[in-house]
Amino acid sequence: MERVTQLEYDEERAADMLAVAETRDQAALARLFDYYVPKIRSFCLAAQPGANLMADDIAQEVMIRIWNKAHTYKPESASLNTWVFTLARNARIDYLRKNSRHQSDIDPEFLWQNVVDENADPFKDAQQKRDQERIKQGLDKLPKDQKQVLAKVYLEGKTHKEAAEELSLPLGTIKSRVRLALHKLTIYVKR
Amino acid sequence: MINYHPSIETLTDYAAGSLPLAHSLCVSTHIEHCSECQQQIRKLEMLGTHLFEQAKTEKRRLDSLKDSFFQKLAELPEQDILKKEQTATEPEQSWKDEYRIPRSLRQFIKSSYDDLNWMRLSPSFKIATLYNEEGGAQVALTRVKAGAHMPTHTHTGDEITLVLEGAFSDESGVYRQGDFINRDASHKHKPIVTKDAECICLTVLDAPIEFTGWLTRLLNPLIRRHHPYSPH
Repeated sequence: MERVTQLEYDEERAADMLAVAETRDQAALARLFDYYVPKIRSFCLAAQPGANLMADDIAQEVMIRIWNKAHTYKPESASLNTWVFTLARNARIDYLRKNSRHQSDIDPEFLWQNVVDENADPFKDAQQKRDQERIKQGLDKLPKDQKQVLAKVYLEGKTHKEAAEELSLPLGTIKSRVRLALHKLTIYVKR
Repeated sequence: MINYHPSIETLTDYAAGSLPLAHSLCVSTHIEHCSECQQQIRKLEMLGTHLFEQAKTEKRRLDSLKDSFFQKLAELPEQDILKKEQTATEPEQSWKDEYRIPRSLRQFIKSSYDDLNWMRLSPSFKIATLYNEEGGAQVALTRVKAGAHMPTHTHTGDEITLVLEGAFSDESGVYRQGDFINRDASHKHKPIVTKDAECICLTVLDAPIEFTGWLTRLLNPLIRRHHPYSPH
């Protein structure tokens, strides 16, 4: 029952996204704002606890990118949630780059754009949905310690090394937890 | 055929956005050549998406943030933005020479590797710094003539090498276009470029390399002076 509702919500948002892209519908954008901004804010606060201003800035920036890049979003190559996650990730990197002591001249805009698959086909689309479902269900079943490390890396923006220092664990332990988790989620296949 | 890939840890940190930008630049250049790692990244991004979706959100009224957002939006000149987006995804241009510059490097190299400011360290070995991260890594291109030896050197920190053109080999293998090689401080190696063509590589050095040959040792002060970590 719950899954059906979730799916309906996903479809509603996809329709809103289309309305933003095609008719520049601001009411649809406002609904996307209500859904995504709390998530983007907590994504930023995970990396910098208490930095509410930064979280507000980044959330607004992401919403502006959604508005400006609406026409470049391709539903067949990534889900809307994934697209927003990558926008939030890149905006957070960009913000930290411009405001940190370790300034960098690299423009992150150029570093992730090529991951977008331009030759998406229906077969891949189905494959992608399967992958997504597998990862989602697997994630719920992961042991706490593995999920904790994944959250450190993804949400808090820590490298494996930093996660090891913070949890006072050897780097090897962190690496093996991540590998085990990725293996269970069928993301990592040993070459 | 690409044989050397970033580790799963590196790919994960890249997909999560926690990898330093200089290293991300190398991963980004690698995946332009490697569909296998592209697939891996897509799945890692799906994982990030679910974590992002599941993160706890605080109950907080966001009305004023929403108002200020729509005000900002109203002030945006839409035309300009569309133009800017187009330049970010501009079509393939024609390059001055036979080399195609990877997309990830076009923010530094406009039309040809020749345009860079190359510093000659030996008759067959040149280096061009793309940029130095303040207190961080040095990002550079190296260009070595066909069949030439690179001086034996050790690393004082981590080094990532990404082969852009040509090929080279060392004690552990042969590296070709797109290969991603990560070396740490314990490595001492003596790369040789294959005889058929010159070799251009993207390198990220967390600390200066040190030449260990008796003559090339004279180059060390020069190398150190160009690395951001060096005490001036």
